[in-house]
Amino acid sequence: MKIHLQREIDSLKKQLFHLSSLVEEILNESIQAVTGDNPDVVDAIKAKDVQIDGLEVEVEEECLKILALHQPVAVDLRFLVAAMKMNNDLERIGDLAVNIARAQRFLARCGGRHLFADQIEKMGEMARRMLSKALESQMNRDPEGARAVMRDDDEVDTAYYQLIEKVKAEIAAGPEHSEELIGWIMVAKHIERVADLATNIAEDTIYMIKGEIVRHGQG
Amino acid sequence: MRRVGLLWQFYPPLLTILVVSLLLVTGFSGRSMRTFMEDHTADNLEAFSRALIPEMQYRVQARDLAGVQEICNRVGLESGYRLTIIQRDGTVLGDTEEDPALMENHADRPEVIDALAGHVGHSRRYSSTLGHQRLYVAVPGQLRAQRGTPAFVIRASVSLGDLRGIMGQLYGEIALVAVALLVLAGMLAFILARRFSNSLRQLQAGAEAFSAGRLEGHIRVDDSLEINAVASAMNHMADQLAERIGTAENQRNEMESVLASMNEGVLAVDRSELIIRLNSTAAGMFGRKVEYALGRSIQEICRHPEITRLTQEVLGDGSSRQCEIQLGGRNGRVLQIHASSLVNREGRRLGALLVFSDITELRRLETMRRDFVANVSHELKTPVTSIKGFTETLLDDPRPGPDEQDRFLEIINKQTNRLENIISDLLSLSRLEEENRTGNLELVDLSISQMLDRVIRDLESRNPEAAGRLEIRCAEGLRAPINAPLLEQAVGNLVGNALKYSPEGTPVTITCEKEEGFVAIHVTDRGPGIQAEHLPRIFERFYRVDKARSRRMGGTGLGLAIVKHITQIHGGQASVQSTPGRGSTFTLTLPVEVRE
Repeated sequence: MKIHLQREIDSLKKQLFHLSSLVEEILNESIQAVTGDNPDVVDAIKAKDVQIDGLEVEVEEECLKILALHQPVAVDLRFLVAAMKMNNDLERIGDLAVNIARAQRFLARCGGRHLFADQIEKMGEMARRMLSKALESQMNRDPEGARAVMRDDDEVDTAYYQLIEKVKAEIAAGPEHSEELIGWIMVAKHIERVADLATNIAEDTIYMIKGEIVRHGQG
Repeated sequence: MRRVGLLWQFYPPLLTILVVSLLLVTGFSGRSMRTFMEDHTADNLEAFSRALIPEMQYRVQARDLAGVQEICNRVGLESGYRLTIIQRDGTVLGDTEEDPALMENHADRPEVIDALAGHVGHSRRYSSTLGHQRLYVAVPGQLRAQRGTPAFVIRASVSLGDLRGIMGQLYGEIALVAVALLVLAGMLAFILARRFSNSLRQLQAGAEAFSAGRLEGHIRVDDSLEINAVASAMNHMADQLAERIGTAENQRNEMESVLASMNEGVLAVDRSELIIRLNSTAAGMFGRKVEYALGRSIQEICRHPEITRLTQEVLGDGSSRQCEIQLGGRNGRVLQIHASSLVNREGRRLGALLVFSDITELRRLETMRRDFVANVSHELKTPVTSIKGFTETLLDDPRPGPDEQDRFLEIINKQTNRLENIISDLLSLSRLEEENRTGNLELVDLSISQMLDRVIRDLESRNPEAAGRLEIRCAEGLRAPINAPLLEQAVGNLVGNALKYSPEGTPVTITCEKEEGFVAIHVTDRGPGIQAEHLPRIFERFYRVDKARSRRMGGTGLGLAIVKHITQIHGGQASVQSTPGRGSTFTLTLPVEVRE
């Protein structure tokens, strides 16, 4: 029975890794689309997001199945709860990636200058790395990795506020590009949300390992 | 079966043998001894009784009962035997221990019956009168007158209690010896067992050492032939094993080093998608350590949906597949993946084998080539199209106005010049490449500042207005081995670009300085700058940051490519740094020493 449970959990982990790699991929693609002069990728990313949504449902059903069949306790139970939450967060990140791709379309209409491409690329890379680190620490039950992710979130926030300041300065200098600037703010906001969701995953990881709730600044 | 030590295996059989043999010996010897002693006693009794016959004859004849009794008492007292004289009819005439008058008729006693029949009678029985087992011997006695028939019987008897005592003593001694023997046997068994188990323990220790991998230490036991044979068989086995393991290890090491030194990443997964083997190249491609990756799922290590899909397909149907993926961000590596089924000797599918080839460079070159072909045809096509169009117009319209004709001819002239520029740039590029390949370009040690002066004079003669924007900061006495005409062309291209792409009135700075073994020439403008994504490709042929604008400026798209090639044949490098909105700096570094 115990071995069965372990096997199910291992296969669940594989599914989650697959899900997250898909999410990372479309996040990557959408950020590349925004920062480079890649063609319109909204449709391609939407198609992949549909795949992600399907996978999310699968993972959730898998979790429920394990809960019902094996009635796990202690660490296994906490892992499953964390996995379900993480599943949710990953799906949300997928949606955000679609939003970023849409923003790219908007930015392209506004003239397609790459005003903040560098900052956005850096922020996007940070967020993506946080996501993959959060996932890894969850799977390897590594609280240190999770705490590192939580620290990285502050960096992304700082980058976000810096960008806002720059946009403000640009608007003050001349309002003719304000539409485009709004586009950049949208992208930055989405990336900041991605980082937040990655932090969520990290917090759930700490809960899973230590049974201690570090959300809402209690950590 | 309950497990017992060797001692308890040896001791009970030994004990059984001892006890059984002792019992048998004691039983047989006790019985024969008893028989012998009883016979002996019986003979004594008979002789004793016979010796009394004459005396008794006389007294019984004389009916001297008191005399009979007196002999009985005396002789009985002296010899310790009990004497009984019995008349033919069974009446007791005298007895050593009892009053004959009170004794019952003894005619029915078996020894008396025998004696009255004329033989010597023997009997051993429990005497009811005396209360213990006794031996009775009865001898017939005749009266002198009547020969033949016995008139009386002399019966002598002795208690067998003494005999039993002797036997008991004997048994006691035997028992004592038996106990001593048992202890001795126990000790013997103990010693034997210990010796045997010591040897066994040595064998065991040896076998354990073998199984722990210490195959070089041999088992040394000095024991019986059999144990020594076992030990030497085990030693032999260990030698064989060591040899085979050595061979296998060598093979494995060879395999490992073959895998490790491969440029391609190799990764094997089992059927449940766990990584069972990978080389360091593969681990490095995914930013992991080999030890970390082993035993983890491919989803966790590779983190790319395409790899997962490929693996699952190959595991599913055992086919071979390939695909291309890009890792990470825009500048991530491009990997080509061959996935095939991992099959063992019996043809059973064990998992999947993935081979990753890094084709980033290949893709880059391919893109460059494709872009070059597309660009060169485009760049040539544009002037040719307009030349063709205007020539046709002139041909179709036999009477054009003189102004129109001049204008058309001018355009045709301009486009022809443009074509010529492109073609001559292409030709000089291919010449540069040829020289770079053969390496027979002549380099002369010249002053950099003089070379710069010539560049600026040339520029002033063509465009005096623009030359006014130049700021030159050149360190004195800088010399380097250069090919002056080529380097002048390169610097001229850079300065021309800087002037062209930066707004009117902003300065363009040329700085020459000496660095470690190099001379660096920087050309800095305050123009719009270049996005980071374009920087790696800006020295490529026909690569344009802003396609419409640069063509309007009249460039051929080959200027920077020529700059790069010229610096390369000087053994130097061309590089660029740029901040969008702030300006760009192009840098040429030339080695001070002539390269061999």
